[in-house]
Amino acid sequence: MSDPLLRVERVSKSYGDEQVLREISFEMDRGDVTVLIGPSGSGKSTMLRCVNRLTEVDSGEIYLDGERVTGPDVDVNELRRQVGMVFQDFNLFAHLTARGNVMLGPRQVLGLSKEEARRRADEQLALVGLADQADSYPAELSGGQKQRVGIARALAMEPKLMLFDEPTSALDPELIGEVLEVMRDLVERGMTMLVVTHEMSFARSVASEIMFLDGGRIVERGPPEQLFERPEHDRTATFLRRITQLHS
Amino acid sequence: MSEPVADAVREGETATRTIPAGRPLVVLAGGLFWGWLLLRWLNDWLGGLFVPRGEPFVSPEAVEALGAAVPALRGLFDSTAFAVTYLPALSAGVWLTIVLTATSIALGFVLAVPLSVARVYGRWTSYLSLAYTELLRGTPLLAQLFVIYYGLNFVQYVPPLLDGVFANNAVWAAIVGFTLNSAAYQAEYIRSALLSVESGQLTAGRAIGLTKLQAIRYVVLPQGLRFAIPGWTNELIYLIKYSSLAAFITVPELFQRTNAIASDNFRYTAMFSLAALLYLALVISASRLMNAVEDRVAIPGLGARGR
Ligand SMILES: Nc1ncnc2c1ncn2[C@@H]1O[C@H](COP(=O)(O)OP(=O)(O)O)[C@@H](O)[C@H]1O
Ligand SMILES: [Mg+2]
Repeated sequence: MSDPLLRVERVSKSYGDEQVLREISFEMDRGDVTVLIGPSGSGKSTMLRCVNRLTEVDSGEIYLDGERVTGPDVDVNELRRQVGMVFQDFNLFAHLTARGNVMLGPRQVLGLSKEEARRRADEQLALVGLADQADSYPAELSGGQKQRVGIARALAMEPKLMLFDEPTSALDPELIGEVLEVMRDLVERGMTMLVVTHEMSFARSVASEIMFLDGGRIVERGPPEQLFERPEHDRTATFLRRITQLHS
Repeated sequence: MSEPVADAVREGETATRTIPAGRPLVVLAGGLFWGWLLLRWLNDWLGGLFVPRGEPFVSPEAVEALGAAVPALRGLFDSTAFAVTYLPALSAGVWLTIVLTATSIALGFVLAVPLSVARVYGRWTSYLSLAYTELLRGTPLLAQLFVIYYGLNFVQYVPPLLDGVFANNAVWAAIVGFTLNSAAYQAEYIRSALLSVESGQLTAGRAIGLTKLQAIRYVVLPQGLRFAIPGWTNELIYLIKYSSLAAFITVPELFQRTNAIASDNFRYTAMFSLAALLYLALVISASRLMNAVEDRVAIPGLGARGR
């Protein structure tokens, strides 16, 4: 089992004339928490979306658990079962209760019976601290609660890898903590997580590696101490200083 | 007033419960109208349950006599007597108008959902759907009915099972015509409703591994169809009135019956005013019903109207 869980090899992606990702390569082992940082428009979301193929790469390869996920013959729905995604603006299914949101995947994608799917949904909602909100609709929940439902929805598929795209950016400051707490729990349970976030104290405390993306390239990468204490590039230092000021 | 009318009032009370709080007068009028209509149909279908088939529940002469007793209100009583005389004959037309409208809107909906989904999410099917919609919306409904009824002589294809369900098989031709036409309009309403569902909803559905069709079926459509209700209500109201075009292919619905009676008694204004009142009652009922449906399926937390 020396294979990394996720291997990204020289992935490039352009939109029209704009090259968004330039030969990005990195690897993640099981249990790793990799944090992607970088200015707006640097390609962080695009990178995440390439992993579960919401976006198609132009060139390069991505392997999950040793299996190639790029390429035309891959069953994308099968791939997406194994990769959970959490969105900045939650994207909860507006017409379904919290439980309904979490149940839909297990029921329709995994083919669980209604009872099994319901049991699994209730378990996942309990794990994110929302057992008592199972019957609430998204519009009746706070932002923090919505995002926790979003996490429960992704976890209910029992993914190998979780992608978080700025999960706390749309939240009022006082609601960020509850979401980060759920994510910390998840780290402790050994989940492999690729996280785009600007919550630097969170990144610092849980990341196995931080990658700084700018202009579609990984400018600098390393364990949190290294990036925060001795960044090699000025750009990294400037960005980190700015983002830390902004968030304190 | 005789007994059936008292029953009608009771009908009105049950109706009050299903209709959300509204002006009591409208509710009372609605109750009276539907109570009368149901009793009328029952009476005529069951071969004269209360009064001989086609006879008014109260005699027009009695109403006129009342008018003679109260000269100040004479005109009102005379009009009422006129209405009482002809309403029984029109009630059968109302039945066909309702059958035409309800069946066509329902069957049209069944066609409209795939048409709109193809239009929004399909590739080449999107062009097929567009072509269908443009063809059906771009040509006169009456011409479409004529093609189906006279051109294709649709009546000869009515399957034996359906033959004779209505006294006039042209009803089936009208249903086909209205269904095909209404599907095009409904597809347009549903299409714009689907487009108003946030794109993140489909993305989130795909991200948990739903196929595109599953994501449409379980995520986008349930929301889009809710948004489509106001437009859809418009289409229902149009169809109630456009169903009168069936008269031109010999269907004895409300308009056709009104016209037939008027060309007998030459009281065109009075007859068509009466018919207008009946159409109005149908339209108001339909829009209240759809309001109730909209409230009923509203998503909690998003306000009474969905958004
Ligand atoms: N679907 C798309 N079509 C065209 N351009 C896009 C699309 N998605 C992203 N982009 C562009 O790619 C660049 C990177 O976007 P993104 O990955 O969202 O950056 P980040 O998440 O780091 O802010 C941006 O300039 C954005 O405008
Ligand atoms: Mg982004």
